[in-house]
Amino acid sequence: MLGAILFCIGIFGVLTRRNVIGVLISIELILNAANINLVAFNRYLGTPDGLGQIFAIFVIAIAAIASVVGLVLIIAIYRNGKSVFLDHFNLMKW
Amino acid sequence: MAEITFFFIALCVCAFALLSVLSRDVFHCAVWLALTLLSVAGVYFYLDAEFLGVVQVLVYVGGIITLFVFAIKLTAKIGDKTIVQVNEQTLAAVIVTAVLFYLLFKVIAVHPWVSGSAAVVSLKDIGNSLLTGYALPFEFISLILLAAMVGAIVIGKVKKCFHWIILLCWARFYSVSGSLAFSRAAM
Repeated sequence: MLGAILFCIGIFGVLTRRNVIGVLISIELILNAANINLVAFNRYLGTPDGLGQIFAIFVIAIAAIASVVGLVLIIAIYRNGKSVFLDHFNLMKW
Repeated sequence: MAEITFFFIALCVCAFALLSVLSRDVFHCAVWLALTLLSVAGVYFYLDAEFLGVVQVLVYVGGIITLFVFAIKLTAKIGDKTIVQVNEQTLAAVIVTAVLFYLLFKVIAVHPWVSGSAAVVSLKDIGNSLLTGYALPFEFISLILLAAMVGAIVIGKVKKCFHWIILLCWARFYSVSGSLAFSRAAM
């Protein structure tokens, strides 16, 4: 339930933000919602070898990688185009 | 008592997440995101996943928030409060989110939950599983981390970064041979 609420807030943020860093923050919220679900199901319905927690650790690692690469890309684009707003990124449009 | 604690933590998570999505200043967004992640660590502690809570605090609040703050400060123009931060599709986003939440709530309400065995996982079990049964994804994660580090250095265009990349690759293969030997010994 809590995971569903957090997921919906994250989706709302991804859809409405104009700013790339805001979108990355919302993506972090979505990944945290997934993690909460993994840990909760592992705690109440799971197996004793801790599969849910191990996958939550993997998700945390992937989230860290994603945010690092995303922020480096943002800084590189900002150096080239002096903007961080999504509707100014028409570099790849025809 | 436990129920009240959980509802308090859940309320904190939802309120801080809403604030971090709706706040206008991007720097405030990052601060609210830090509080959200701390509350999620509280949820992990409530669910008896102490190791995951500590990892959450170290990796997210210690590492990722710092990166966010650096990125916000380096791209200085977005700190300006006069800029509109949301785009024109707010109404459509509200509708989509409401429909999605209704569907999720319906599924949660309809689904017959079987109450299985409640399992508290100790740190020893996690370590054993990571180095025996799940050793391959564990090493694969480290490979992705190496690729992300090299990619970040290359995209960030550090001058004369070649030595650092060689050093990183060397350290990584050294560590993978060590941990594979360890997991073979453990099996």
